[in-house]
Amino acid sequence: MPSELSAVAAIIMIAAITFASRIAGPLLMTNIIISPRIERFLNALSVSVIAALVASIVAQNGLREGAAVGLAAFIMLGSKSAVWAMVSGMALAAAWALFFH
Amino acid sequence: MVIEDAEDSAPTYKGVVLTLAGIRLGGRRLLPFALFTVPFGIAFGVAAIESGLSSFQAILMSLATFSGAAQFATLDFWTEPLAFGSLAMVVLALNARHTIMGAALAPWINQLPLSRRALVLGYLSDPNFADSQPAFQNGERDIGILLGGGLVLWACWVAGTAIGALGGAELGDPTTFGIDVVMPCFFAAVIAGQPRQVEMIAPILVASAVAVPMLDVLPTGWNVVLAALVGGMVGTLYHAK
Repeated sequence: MPSELSAVAAIIMIAAITFASRIAGPLLMTNIIISPRIERFLNALSVSVIAALVASIVAQNGLREGAAVGLAAFIMLGSKSAVWAMVSGMALAAAWALFFH
Repeated sequence: MVIEDAEDSAPTYKGVVLTLAGIRLGGRRLLPFALFTVPFGIAFGVAAIESGLSSFQAILMSLATFSGAAQFATLDFWTEPLAFGSLAMVVLALNARHTIMGAALAPWINQLPLSRRALVLGYLSDPNFADSQPAFQNGERDIGILLGGGLVLWACWVAGTAIGALGGAELGDPTTFGIDVVMPCFFAAVIAGQPRQVEMIAPILVASAVAVPMLDVLPTGWNVVLAALVGGMVGTLYHAK
């Protein structure tokens, strides 16, 4: 088990790297003028990073997660309510676990 | 041509503020979702104790880091002596997407003074980014909603960690209640609910198509960064009428 001192040092380093990752984006963009092209890039970037996260999570899990995510997206398109979308996805995932385990 | 260009470049990022009312609104918006992060916090607290962290260290890490994916990953490297280099690399990889999200928020965030930027960005995470970015795009100008959402998520994450680390409670299987899918379902809802759906179909498909095969090629985390950048570039190809 690491000593208290080295453990706390590691935690400080982990927190510092994480904080740096959070402030780096706006700092890098400080001197960039937001042209329509850059704006399109940033908008697509926003959606793409979330899509990439979802795709990675589904790919690393399986059909159950994929079905839950698909249902959540479908309910959102119909209802425009993120809460209903989330609850439907969870309900499907819970039912799936009940019947297939 | 020139006039079209001028109209196209009309987006104004003026009038950006950071108010207490905005922080409260952001907190209310994300509270229902944030409550579901408590079980994840508990799971982290339990796992951290099992990996040899003290309860103080586990809670300190959640307080100061507030990054679920990175924190879970560090537990694999919690050995004696601590491998600082490996820890740094894995934390960098799993947090690199924050830089992408920050860049996407820059048009609004950079209207604030530096100290307030640092305060707001300290609480930037996937869910409050996913919640706030479309709102800003729709004309919301109060950065408080980003900070408020982040504070509520952070509080739930730390509370969960404390329960898990101090109580060591075994939760049972989160799959029973579908809690394990809450995060991807929320993100899927954000994607399905975002404005400009037609323009975003290509970036969404390309980003997904890059992220999945790259899972086996790139270290975890970098696949998301690469996919986001490629998706962003695809987005620039689309020319609004």
